[in-house]
Amino acid sequence: MDHKRAICTIAALVMGCIGFTVAVRADETCNSPYMAKLIKGQEDYVYVWTLGVQGLGDGSDKLVTVDVNPQSKSYGKVIHSVSTGARAEAHHMGFTDDRRYIWAGGLSENRIWVFDIATDPANPKLVRTITDLGDKSGFLGPHTYYALPGRMLVQALSNTKDKGGATGMVLYNNKGQQLDSYAMPAEGGGYGYDLAVNPKKNVLLTSSFTGYVNYMRPLGELINDGEAMKNFGSTMVLWDLKAIKPTKVLAVPGAPLEIRWSLNSEDNWAITATALTSKLWLVKQDAKGEWNAKEVGTIGDPSKIPLPVDISITRDGKGLWVNTFMDGKTRYFDLSNPEAPKQTYEKVTGKQVNMISQSWDGKRVYITSSLLANWDKGGADNEQFLRGFAWDGKELAQKFEVDFTKEKLGRAHHMKLGSAALRSSVAGG
Amino acid sequence: MSSPRGILGAALALLAALACATISAAHEGDPLAEPDFIPPAPGTYTLHRIMAAPDGQVLGIDGRAQPLSRYTRGQITLLGFIYTTCTDPQGCPLAYRVFDALKEAITATPSLRGKVRFVTLSFDPARDTPDVMLQYAGSRVSEEVGGLHWYFLTTHSARELMPLVDGFGQDINITFDRSGGFPRRELSHVLKVFLIDRTGDIREIYTSTFLYPRLVLNDIQTLLMEEDPKGNHAPARN
Repeated sequence: MDHKRAICTIAALVMGCIGFTVAVRADETCNSPYMAKLIKGQEDYVYVWTLGVQGLGDGSDKLVTVDVNPQSKSYGKVIHSVSTGARAEAHHMGFTDDRRYIWAGGLSENRIWVFDIATDPANPKLVRTITDLGDKSGFLGPHTYYALPGRMLVQALSNTKDKGGATGMVLYNNKGQQLDSYAMPAEGGGYGYDLAVNPKKNVLLTSSFTGYVNYMRPLGELINDGEAMKNFGSTMVLWDLKAIKPTKVLAVPGAPLEIRWSLNSEDNWAITATALTSKLWLVKQDAKGEWNAKEVGTIGDPSKIPLPVDISITRDGKGLWVNTFMDGKTRYFDLSNPEAPKQTYEKVTGKQVNMISQSWDGKRVYITSSLLANWDKGGADNEQFLRGFAWDGKELAQKFEVDFTKEKLGRAHHMKLGSAALRSSVAGG
Repeated sequence: MSSPRGILGAALALLAALACATISAAHEGDPLAEPDFIPPAPGTYTLHRIMAAPDGQVLGIDGRAQPLSRYTRGQITLLGFIYTTCTDPQGCPLAYRVFDALKEAITATPSLRGKVRFVTLSFDPARDTPDVMLQYAGSRVSEEVGGLHWYFLTTHSARELMPLVDGFGQDINITFDRSGGFPRRELSHVLKVFLIDRTGDIREIYTSTFLYPRLVLNDIQTLLMEEDPKGNHAPARN
């Protein structure tokens, strides 16, 4: 299916209440506020959660370690990969609160793979597979992994009963034992996508996407199925974090995806991008303490469906990177006034781009290529890469590239940063 | 006290005492912050059984070895890891101040008296000997203050400490500061305080973001309501 035709068809079909992408949370500024050991200097590694491709290498999903320290002899090279032995639509991952483990999952089934990154940060080791998400909760397709103290809150995308968009969250302890599950509010269809926490306000915020029956279908089929295209999320939900109970459903049309809270201690707002409508939305408390959502900006030309797929906020909350899959562009927005974001830069960084991560100091930016196995572009447009850039505030300058097809690895998706200094240790006596 | 170990212990105790005095002086006057939200009322939410508190040998301030479970079962327990040389205002000193505030609230609330204990456990056995912990505890270590015991514990060695640190999921990082001409070991960690029920299960874990006396008291009352739904658990003063 030609992607330009597909997008035109989508534009004709929808505009308003649907979206069709899965993106990612990625970098140091986007980690859970409960997570220890943020890397505030030079990162040594980028871990890339990679979708297996049949006939390429071992064909399995894998966690790939790329050396990204410019002082290293293997800078810009793959130094390790650990295969799961399965192909399960590898998608997102998240650190445990102690940053000793990465939890990573796939959207086509309910397995969660746990990798030890503390014993030897350059060489992650698969130490556990969690398999009870669906059996106990009834949910399907673990997506977001968000560290809480001693626990991991997992946002799913679908359910095991009809594989539609009604879904929920599952709470685990760090040992992988399931503690509880929470259905998304029925209002708005029960969709789920991302979650992020503002502990200062005791607020958990969630966004919404679509179910397995949509995200696993070939894109060409999906966009020609008008009924299926109605089944996308158009809400965000505020929850009491302590009680994990919903308190308010906000109307945010167009499939709101990644959620980023400002890390500025003076701020109490979060921003998101809507996939289909190509808008930036702000979720903020008003003077009376009421939380509201409002549209504050436009990403590219929405009529062309550029498809914002990932966002990355700077540590001071003053800037936002936005990747748009279809046009392969990386855009930078000035967020000095979050009520009126202003685009100040854009660059084509690939024929298809998806995830974007930045270092804590904002000087290094990493980009990967894959959206979903059945939704990536075809032919020469199906680039699969990790690209590293330097950002001086004016220009993105590419510093290295790893070709994931040439290396027989697969489709490069979610990224997390690693450091050799984060080996586990204990007080000596 | 004439052995090299005794002399070293005394020196460490003195240093620790000085460190504590500095910390106390730096923070005594600062009021603890209140949460910037209205927390859910006690009993309206679930405190999950996150995991069982680990067990292992610990040393009291009298130097006697005991299983940690002696201090984590039978009463509601609030346990925090510290090291006596910690000076991060959002680390051990904050926990200390919150424990102090909670002690005052609990001892002033009849329905809570005799139902809660505090445990402060060092994760630096090399420096925090029982003598050092005794100095660190100061007057807080008295047998019983208004129905609340506060135990100050350490371990013989990293070998005994490690299973406890791992079991609680308390991360710790060791670095060496070489800026002074010779390497100086420094510990860093994320503050965690653990709420443990009578059966020894960890029911809440507080980082500095959520370590407010009011929230901890709500959780203690939630556990008491869970044990005795018809009981009288008047809100504590704090």
